Amino acid sequence: MRPRAARTRVVLAAVAALTGALGAAPAGAAPLAHREVLPNGIVLLVAERPAVPIVAVRVLTRAGAVFDPDDRAGLANLTSAVLTRGTAKRTGPEIDSAIEFVGGSLEAGAGRDSLTVALSVQKRDLALGLDLLSEVVLSPTFPAAEVTRKVAEIQAAIRRSEEDPNTLAIRALSRLVYPDHPYGRPVEGTRESVARLTRDDVVKFYARHARPDATIVAVVGAITVDEARREITARLGSWARPSDPLPSITPPTTAATPREESIKRELTQSTLMFGRRAVRQTDPDYFPLSVASYVLGGGSTSRLYTKVREESGLAYAVYSWVSPARYGAAFAVSAQTRTAEVPKVAALIREELARMTREPVSDRELSLAKQFLIGSFPFRLDTSAKVADFLAAVEDQGLGLDYPERYKERIGRVTARDIQDVAAKYFPPASFSLVTVGEIK
Amino acid sequence: MRIFVAFLSIVVLLAASVASAADQVVASTLDNGLRVLLLEDHRSPIVSFQVWYRVGSRDELRGATGIAHFLEHLMFKGTPTRGPKQFARLVEENGGQDNAFTSQDVTSYYVDIAADKIDLVIDLEADRMQNLLLDPKEIASEREVVIEERRTRTEDDPGGFLGEEVGSIAFKAHPYGFPIIGWMEDIKRVTPAEIRAFYKTYYVPNNAIVVAAGDFKTQSVLEKIQKTFGRIPKGKTPPPVLAVEPPQNGERRVIVTKEAELPVVYMAWHVPNHRSNDAPALEVLSTILSGGRASRLYRDLVYQRQLALEAGGDYSYFALDPNLFWFWATPMPGQKPETLEAELAKHMERLKTEPVTDEELARAKNQIESSFVFQEDSVHRRASLLARFELIGGYAQKDTFVTKIRAVTAADLTRVANAWFASDRKSVGVLLPKPR
Repeated sequence: MRPRAARTRVVLAAVAALTGALGAAPAGAAPLAHREVLPNGIVLLVAERPAVPIVAVRVLTRAGAVFDPDDRAGLANLTSAVLTRGTAKRTGPEIDSAIEFVGGSLEAGAGRDSLTVALSVQKRDLALGLDLLSEVVLSPTFPAAEVTRKVAEIQAAIRRSEEDPNTLAIRALSRLVYPDHPYGRPVEGTRESVARLTRDDVVKFYARHARPDATIVAVVGAITVDEARREITARLGSWARPSDPLPSITPPTTAATPREESIKRELTQSTLMFGRRAVRQTDPDYFPLSVASYVLGGGSTSRLYTKVREESGLAYAVYSWVSPARYGAAFAVSAQTRTAEVPKVAALIREELARMTREPVSDRELSLAKQFLIGSFPFRLDTSAKVADFLAAVEDQGLGLDYPERYKERIGRVTARDIQDVAAKYFPPASFSLVTVGEIK
Repeated sequence: MRIFVAFLSIVVLLAASVASAADQVVASTLDNGLRVLLLEDHRSPIVSFQVWYRVGSRDELRGATGIAHFLEHLMFKGTPTRGPKQFARLVEENGGQDNAFTSQDVTSYYVDIAADKIDLVIDLEADRMQNLLLDPKEIASEREVVIEERRTRTEDDPGGFLGEEVGSIAFKAHPYGFPIIGWMEDIKRVTPAEIRAFYKTYYVPNNAIVVAAGDFKTQSVLEKIQKTFGRIPKGKTPPPVLAVEPPQNGERRVIVTKEAELPVVYMAWHVPNHRSNDAPALEVLSTILSGGRASRLYRDLVYQRQLALEAGGDYSYFALDPNLFWFWATPMPGQKPETLEAELAKHMERLKTEPVTDEELARAKNQIESSFVFQEDSVHRRASLLARFELIGGYAQKDTFVTKIRAVTAADLTRVANAWFASDRKSVGVLLPKPR
């Protein structure tokens, strides 16, 4: 729809996820959440936040797009889209009416690694919300008409998204960075791959991948641990654990050969996006890499922001980020500039990448980056919804509930030498693939 | 992008046992006219500190559009005591997050930061309210940044492009017809002297609201604000916006062709703002039409008949002057924009003749009320909400808002639909995709 306001800087919602944002609770603080494993294998995480009478629940199951068969890209996404469209007890419209009548929301969505059902509801409506949530998780009927509807809708949405140069660039770059891995395919699939999906695919995918021993339930808000355990066990405790082993995915092995790709569009600006493989939170390099990325293109004091935006007025948006997931990670740099200046901006980005490998960052840059990454943490966890997302993600990615403490400690230890070392590994400009979208000659 | 509203009394009402979220707002006005609203919230050791200036694109003149937004960018470019990059640097090295936005009515700056850093933020904000450098060299380079921003948001975005066209035909007298970011020609032309004059006129304490929510002691923050902001001299009262949009006499229409994948349809009607007794009904109407998947436009056009990829309606309750009620739809591939235009119009006609059901009315009210409770969870949103209500006449209006919403009847909806949505008084925009 129509924009209501113009902002000083781009708000990087997509980048914020679980990237470099975790600091830590104060020393001696209560644990982030209570954790227990229910008899059927569900990992239950509960954080009590009694002040506001709302409850946020996330049911995350490892049924992400990474499990889409090669010729069925978009299957996890379609499955999530149809999940709330009918259960053994209610039709999709009945579910919508029931949750919206109490001003709550119940949404399902798929990402690369997992499929999540998210409930937000006032405390007084918790029983209704959990009833709907558990029906959706345990007894979805995936009505054929709803599958057909969603296929058409997703195809149209993919087509519409092709108007957005940023989306085009991310899709192309993922393909170049992960040529041999499911992460190279778009979560939503392509118009062609989605056209091939059937109800049978959806039913089989959900039956195979949605199982209690691959599921995390995070409950956050005006609720106690005992209450949460009781309510969740009553509704999801009967979900039987299958005997076959959990499906697994092999992480991408070979590094991709850097390649360049141009996508021609009639636009007044061009989008440049550099990317390459990187490491995730379980690798010791991740922490210096996070600090390095912040110094290079993290905030509004970063080197790229200063050079490209502040000093040269070449771009409104320029930034870098680390994008970790369960089976791999990428590092990327992006800018949008007027078409005539593409070579200049590309050269500036390459030079700043190279400079990170050549010389140590200054003490001031280092301390600013570390203080920001550690100090901004409380705002990543300032609502029940954010805490629930965070808990589910930390558990899913195998990071442990002490991850905030470790993150703070690891970030705090990063030195200029460490940064130069990881830059030497991950920032050589020639190691990046590049996608350009715009009026390319 | 609907702006829903949160608040305290609702929480008290719904959950009397919940004490910590239901703190009290302390409001005061300094001698220099600065309005200060402080809300203690001790759940987390954080604070959201916000400064809202009562100036937006509504205060601009033809030929100098975009100046309010341009100035917003320049507010990060330093004062004599803190150089061009100092603001961002000081905030980031203290673990804070800051940003700003400009709307038709207001320019807002915020810093969300650890509670023990609030004094630093107060110093920074008071400094740039009065001492902005506005160095011509910085203005020259930031002009290029704003031009790039306009390219991203408008030139290269089909929806943004069409929205600007429809806004500009809907208003012929009132500055709500100007794009917030400004016309490209104006962004390129506007001079440092004009920007400076704009700053001097509107960035005065008597034209601003300071609002903070979070883990602080009200008395000590108020004293700090008095010692900093309090020393800034009161300015002249900024000139009022005198333009009044005359009644629309006949339909207006704009059709643009642009490289795009799918068409877009916009329809807009002139409607009254919060000052009108019809405003609560318009708010409920907008929720019935487009609040969620059970809403009319989604259920009929997107879900049941699959004519649209998306469809909705949007009302600006908080607008300072009467503004537009927008409808939009993106036709599904194979559907024509004229079909969607006709269907949107049919929904409007149906509201004029047929009362909404009790269930629809109750659901819309519950959704509006519930969104207030959800907003209570964030100190940033709590502070923003106080500012929004203060801008339209007093933060205490938030206490009567839900009461007004609760009082809306089905007959009210029929009445406002007939009063404001005449079929020959709309502005229509259609974007036709140009094949690649």
